[in-house]
Amino acid sequence: MDIKNKISNIVPNAEFKEQGDLIAVVPADSLHKVAEALRYDKEDAMDYLREIVGMDWGETLGALYYLESTTSHNRIVLRTETSDRENPMLPSVSDLWKTAIIKEREAFDFFGIKFIGNPDMRRLFLREDWVGFPMRKDYDLKSNELNMSNEVNADTTEEYSLNPDGTLSCKHNVVFNPEDFVVNIGPQHPSTHGALRLRTALDGETVKKVDPVCGYIHRGIEKMNESLTYPQTLALTDRLDYLSAHQSRHALCMCIEKAAGIEISERAQYIRTIMDELQRIDSHLLFYSCLVLDMGGFTPFFYGFREREMVLDIFEETTGGRLIQNYNMIGGVQADLHPDFQKKVKEFIKHMRGIIHEYHEIFTGNVIATTRLKGVGVLSREDAISYATTGGTGRASGWSNDVRKHHPYAMYDKVDFKEIVYTEGDSFARYMVRMDEIMESMHIIEQLIDNIPEGEYRVKTKPIIRIPEGNYSASVESSRGEFGVFLESHGDKSPYRLHYRSTGLPLVHALDSVCRGEKLADLIAIGASMDFVIPDIDR
Amino acid sequence: MSKFGNYIKGYFSGLDSLLIGMRTSLRVYLRKGVTEQYPENRHTTLHIPERHRAMLVMPHDENNQHHCIACGLCQMACPNDTIKVTSEMVEGEDGKKKKVLVKYEYDLGSCMFCELCVNACPHNAIRFSNDFENAVYQRNKLVLKLNHEGSSVVKK
Amino acid sequence: MNTSFLDYYSIQPVTNWIHETLCSVMPEALAIFIECVVIGVIVVALYAVLAIVLIYMERKVCAAFQCRIGPNRVGGKGGLLQVPADVLKILTKEIIRLKNSDNFLYDLAPYLVILASILTFSCLPWNKGAQILDMNIGVLFVLAASSIGVVGILLAGWSSNNKYTMIGAVRSGAMIISYELSMGITVLAMVVLSETASISGIVEAQANGWNIFKGHIPAILAFVVFLIAGNAEANRGPFDLAEAEQELTAGYHTEYSGLHFGFFYLAEYLNLFITAGIASTLFLGGWMPFHIAGLDAFNNIMDYIPGVGWFFIKTFFVVWLLMWIKWTFPRLRIDQILTFEWKYLMPTSLLILVLMVVLKVFGLVF
Repeated sequence: MDIKNKISNIVPNAEFKEQGDLIAVVPADSLHKVAEALRYDKEDAMDYLREIVGMDWGETLGALYYLESTTSHNRIVLRTETSDRENPMLPSVSDLWKTAIIKEREAFDFFGIKFIGNPDMRRLFLREDWVGFPMRKDYDLKSNELNMSNEVNADTTEEYSLNPDGTLSCKHNVVFNPEDFVVNIGPQHPSTHGALRLRTALDGETVKKVDPVCGYIHRGIEKMNESLTYPQTLALTDRLDYLSAHQSRHALCMCIEKAAGIEISERAQYIRTIMDELQRIDSHLLFYSCLVLDMGGFTPFFYGFREREMVLDIFEETTGGRLIQNYNMIGGVQADLHPDFQKKVKEFIKHMRGIIHEYHEIFTGNVIATTRLKGVGVLSREDAISYATTGGTGRASGWSNDVRKHHPYAMYDKVDFKEIVYTEGDSFARYMVRMDEIMESMHIIEQLIDNIPEGEYRVKTKPIIRIPEGNYSASVESSRGEFGVFLESHGDKSPYRLHYRSTGLPLVHALDSVCRGEKLADLIAIGASMDFVIPDIDR
Repeated sequence: MSKFGNYIKGYFSGLDSLLIGMRTSLRVYLRKGVTEQYPENRHTTLHIPERHRAMLVMPHDENNQHHCIACGLCQMACPNDTIKVTSEMVEGEDGKKKKVLVKYEYDLGSCMFCELCVNACPHNAIRFSNDFENAVYQRNKLVLKLNHEGSSVVKK
Repeated sequence: MNTSFLDYYSIQPVTNWIHETLCSVMPEALAIFIECVVIGVIVVALYAVLAIVLIYMERKVCAAFQCRIGPNRVGGKGGLLQVPADVLKILTKEIIRLKNSDNFLYDLAPYLVILASILTFSCLPWNKGAQILDMNIGVLFVLAASSIGVVGILLAGWSSNNKYTMIGAVRSGAMIISYELSMGITVLAMVVLSETASISGIVEAQANGWNIFKGHIPAILAFVVFLIAGNAEANRGPFDLAEAEQELTAGYHTEYSGLHFGFFYLAEYLNLFITAGIASTLFLGGWMPFHIAGLDAFNNIMDYIPGVGWFFIKTFFVVWLLMWIKWTFPRLRIDQILTFEWKYLMPTSLLILVLMVVLKVFGLVF
């Protein structure tokens, strides 16, 4: 049965918009009914909630729910809104998808929408004493002075529920009891990979609860995007997940090109694909280094960096940047490949294939490493989907979620590669997924590197790019999961709202359930094996 | 018995994996380091690729002339307000009024090297150079004037 | 076997001469007092110098394991002055007082750690006749004295009033107390082999062959077990989970600064040296030269290297072995450390002890 019919059967007055993505406009009071029906549909369950995008449409506040099925990979967007700007309320879907808990927190933080039934309605990124909701269009930028006082974190969360007479009642859920031994891991800590703070309750060495506190390096990139032109927004994607800089930018370029109807040359597609895979190797090498370092092995850390340096040199030669490459442009890439590029890439692959056994000898087979990783921090397949932990973390749990396979973009439908899937779901599987993906990425590059067609590397675009009204989205498989770009355009030269799907936020959210009952040292190792990058979470 | 057998097996396979690790690390120990010794290698092995973006410059030719027509496109393209172009209207030889560049200010401290300005420039008047050793003690020293003293625009 | 080189190695004549000369100009009590002070100064000075050497060595060795160069700027190309510069820096740093910490215990802890370290340090046999503390139960004294260090670590963690230091200290306590067992049992095996518990006695018993050769299989096994347990005693990787910077930032000494931190740092490196020194005493013959029975010419050449030289060569070799281990493996987890000790290392060391006794009784050792 067509998805449109399905929704129409439940809500007869649902509207559909097809400007860009297929959107079903659902009234707020029947949102939960529709979501539940789609989530537990017998033929094609929409069990993966990609993203909840909070929106301010001027008159109304609302949210877009991007759903996907993990079997057929069909996608649908639900749109719902409320016209009450003073006290906006929407029903929560956190009982259907666990990831909605944190996604709804984000929407609450920026738009002030209270999700009825969400057990955790704290702010996510901003201080608890922040005034106003900054992503609303009528937000006064001067309403918050620079606050230098210490933030006190509440030990309880709010859960709102609706009384029969239409008033709100608020219940407090306890995060930490006064007798809990709570250790702050971060924001300044060697192994949180950036400024992430994990409030951790310990029982001896055993982790009882983890409560991630995000937002220490929140830069408001999504708010900034609303006043930048489309080419200018590109520069900020590199600063999200700096280890997937190229891939994030690829997603945004793809989204804009799709929306503006720009056709890019095959040569540019080849270049983008090769660069994406090099970036993945770069990121996974750093992942290896950091995981080993977090487990106390200093020497293998340098092995990873030794080879990563070669990738960075290749990047720098062609793109002019090492970490922030700044290479993808709307309509192609910034510059043509350096004449030495192919030679150097082939040299690197040869070198890498010859040396990767050292990585495995010193760490993978090591009895200390295996006993610390195997069977530790198990994330089941159901939980992985419910928490929407895409990328290597999801694939280690047996969830085949590779965007390159299921929604091919660039050259990925033309190359032969395996999707690495493990079923154990433990830290070791998460580690092995990445190590195997290095080999797979090299395999992809080898197929493309000699066949790059001649042609333009960038097509000419208009100096000022305007995108027709509508909602557009694009997603790529970044180094650590599905990176999505969700764009709403009102026909201007800058986006009305440009939201990114963070690859790391679901991972951090899943930490609590994964780490419970494991040791403190495992918390660090699990965090490293999840492989999150903080600037991508905080945006 | 099988439990004890597993114990013995685990004992020796664990020992074996440790020895393999030690063999690998010893092999690397005997290899040469890969460290690059900057700044000693400044003039020898240091390789900065030509496309590396370190700082915006405005090339001048031997007659102290540049290509900037003060159109301000770069200033508009910049997401960070890093560039400030000051121009004035001057009457040319043919009697027409023409925009002439007075001052091209560039704040290295707020530049994020996105190359939008270079892409926007219709006359290739600016480009990124490789001079990456730009550390200074005062922030105001990062605000640079890119057009040289007394320079003028190239006549077509 | 020819043991004449023992007399030639002895520095006893020199020390006797110094003592007699001093006695001839002053009362004996005063002479002994002066000698004690001088030796005390020598011990402390040697302790500091060795720490500098060890830190430098650690930096260079770990750099080589990690494809790096290591210190290479301060003081010429080899970076020789890097560590002295760091020592100077630590000396000039402020010692920070903490609010709400137990000040007395907080200040006491680093001294306890360094006291334990110096006590064991003085038991090392540098040369024939150059052992500062020598008694007939010397080995047991070393084991006992080294345990004082745990008290220091526990106090440091407790008195800092910080959750990280507390976890680090408790980890360290649990670990060191466990590993002392294996260490003690292997030491016992060597005492069985050399038939004495005095350190100088153990060294002299190896005049006709080092223990590791004399005791063959059990001795080699005991050597390995001793190195592992000693590594754990010295709180070094892969047993450095008391410091575990990825988990606990710096473990039990997170809150210490300046010279107090310097004491922990110093003690850590010297404990490494002491572990290696005891290992070379028990297994590699201490200051005994390397002899091959039958090759007299070779043996004579070996005798030209003074005893103290032999001691340093062997000890630094063991130090290097320990560094190799540290810079190869990831860190163990606390429950794995205890499992490893109680399920693997302890049974092994007991087995070694039994085997050694059996071999000794039946005269199957050399």
